Amino acid sequence: MTTTEARPTERKPPQLVDMSWDPITRIIGNLGIYTKIDFANREVVECHSTSSLFRGYSVFMKGKDPRDAGFITSRICGICGDNHTTCSDYAQQMAYGVKPPPLADYIVNLGEAAEYIFDHTIFQDNLVFVDFCEAMVKSTNPGVLARAESTSAPRGDIHGYRTIADIMRAFNPFEGEVYKEALKVSRITREMFCLMEGRHVHPSTLYPGGVGTMPQPTTFTDYLSRLMRVIDFVKKAVAMNDDVFDFFYEALPGYEEVGRRRVLLGCWGAFQDPMTVDYRYETMNTWGKQMYVTPGIIVDGELVTNNLIDINLGLRIMLGSSYYEDWVNEKPFVTHDPLGNPVDMRHPWNQTTVPVPQKRDFDDKYSWVMSPRWLDPRTGDHLALDTGGGPLARLWSTALSGLVDTPYVKATGHSVRISLPKGEKLPETTFEWRIPQWSNTIERDRARPYFVAYAAAMALQFLEEAMGLVRAGETKVFENFEVPDEAIGCGFHEAVRGVLSHHLVIKDKKIANYHPYPPTPWNASPRDKFGTPGPYEDAVQGQPIFEENGPDDFKGIDIMRTVRSFDPCLPCGVHMYVGKGKTLTTLHSPTYGANHG
Amino acid sequence: MGSIRVGRAQARPDTPRHVMGMHQGNRGPYKDQKGHHEDGTADARRSTGIHWKRHDTLAETMPNISPG
Repeated sequence: MTTTEARPTERKPPQLVDMSWDPITRIIGNLGIYTKIDFANREVVECHSTSSLFRGYSVFMKGKDPRDAGFITSRICGICGDNHTTCSDYAQQMAYGVKPPPLADYIVNLGEAAEYIFDHTIFQDNLVFVDFCEAMVKSTNPGVLARAESTSAPRGDIHGYRTIADIMRAFNPFEGEVYKEALKVSRITREMFCLMEGRHVHPSTLYPGGVGTMPQPTTFTDYLSRLMRVIDFVKKAVAMNDDVFDFFYEALPGYEEVGRRRVLLGCWGAFQDPMTVDYRYETMNTWGKQMYVTPGIIVDGELVTNNLIDINLGLRIMLGSSYYEDWVNEKPFVTHDPLGNPVDMRHPWNQTTVPVPQKRDFDDKYSWVMSPRWLDPRTGDHLALDTGGGPLARLWSTALSGLVDTPYVKATGHSVRISLPKGEKLPETTFEWRIPQWSNTIERDRARPYFVAYAAAMALQFLEEAMGLVRAGETKVFENFEVPDEAIGCGFHEAVRGVLSHHLVIKDKKIANYHPYPPTPWNASPRDKFGTPGPYEDAVQGQPIFEENGPDDFKGIDIMRTVRSFDPCLPCGVHMYVGKGKTLTTLHSPTYGANHG
Repeated sequence: MGSIRVGRAQARPDTPRHVMGMHQGNRGPYKDQKGHHEDGTADARRSTGIHWKRHDTLAETMPNISPG
């Protein structure tokens, strides 16, 4: 088993209550969390994560023109659709054997950097912080709020708030300063995105082979002026997050156990180096390591591999608790990769999706999500990797590999140093994200603003280099290609909330097989055939409960913080079931606290 | 679709991948788009049709960038 070991505690006779949240709010899609909570020992005993949503992209993509894949797969998501387009283009470029001109890759990188800044800001400040805001903490842990009132904020000189409670008030939805400013910032960062990719969130100017963006000097200067407007906001966000999260560790001793799981992180890398990437499978190891977010798999704090070919070959899609028929008896599409390595039947290239709708049964099959795992060649374990909400795995992997060394970002082997230039009010600032002790709720949330800073810093470098190309007259942004009769391709990218891969098989110039694997199938996966629970289940199971409310007015804030820390991407109202036969249906407004004040 | 019972399809299952005679975007713009050169560079004709030669660079050694 690859799960987190149980935490040893002194036990009282259990007082078990079923508690369920289905669907979970402030995330996208139909994610349900079903738990058994032991109120006597204040911990979660059992957890099942379930999705009642079937999409079937892999089913209806078959037979379509592969050139359409980027436009179709973009519609998988309404918030990170461009990540799918980018990833699909990477896979197609491998299949077509085309390398876009460097300026096109810079434009894609700049668009993606704007997306990371936009999405992380809106998710963190407008959705995650509702769980940490004054109104919420008042109703779940009034003792903690009282302490926050008297705790001064150590980084107040940067963000301007005197006490921790002042920051929490700024987080209050609809009326808090941070909440409102984050909305304004998300408009600016969205404009940055649109300058590069034409439209948010389904890009209109990204194609395999290059981009349709007109690379004129103003494209880049308009982007730069917007980036410089938000740069101080980013610096403040990092400082504020550190203050609040440090306070939680201090005010609630043992809070590090909330959402803690064994360090099993996966990152597929982002930001190609436009000068070296050629999108060929054979050289994927080389250009993969040159990405500006290094890919990697981290097990127990140790880097297992940062070779994209190894990462690709180790992918296994397991069934066990999912509503699908197995495909092992189907004909494989790809038996060997272009380097001659055997490709497993459970690899996405060979997967066939055969849905079998049925009743939900937590002892058997209970979710539409499959269970993607990574086969550890050292132990033979099928690892249930998580993405740490995206930023945690990206920063961890980049820090451990120590390969990124740029003017604004430097990976040291144990940390990542990010330098941001002088903004309107705040001076030049260098942040250092250090590899944390745990992979838990707080660290997942803390990594997010650091990655916003990371993306902003990388964007500055991409801008300088792209403007250099424009000044030299190298304004070519598209390369012609022919669609081959038969080809295979794979794309590895980072969606905002973590790993993203697209696997493509072309036959007769049409798509024979197409499997996108976004981050949430990894994070929300149910138990596989070995019984290994998925990351949400594993993180929530066994976690202590710090909420002061009892079973009658229980909000499940600690569980919600854990699930949301993964940035789940699976809309609104809370449906809650308490105990046996007593159904409590609470209809909430979309965001908690809407009626507050 | 495995063993799922489905009704009669109301849509044609697949349309042709490519209709002969239609322009394919991946073939490149050079023949139809003025001002774009084979080597990937471009001149002022790309951006305007009015007195475009006068909007080009003064010397051959200078890069020809968009007026935007």
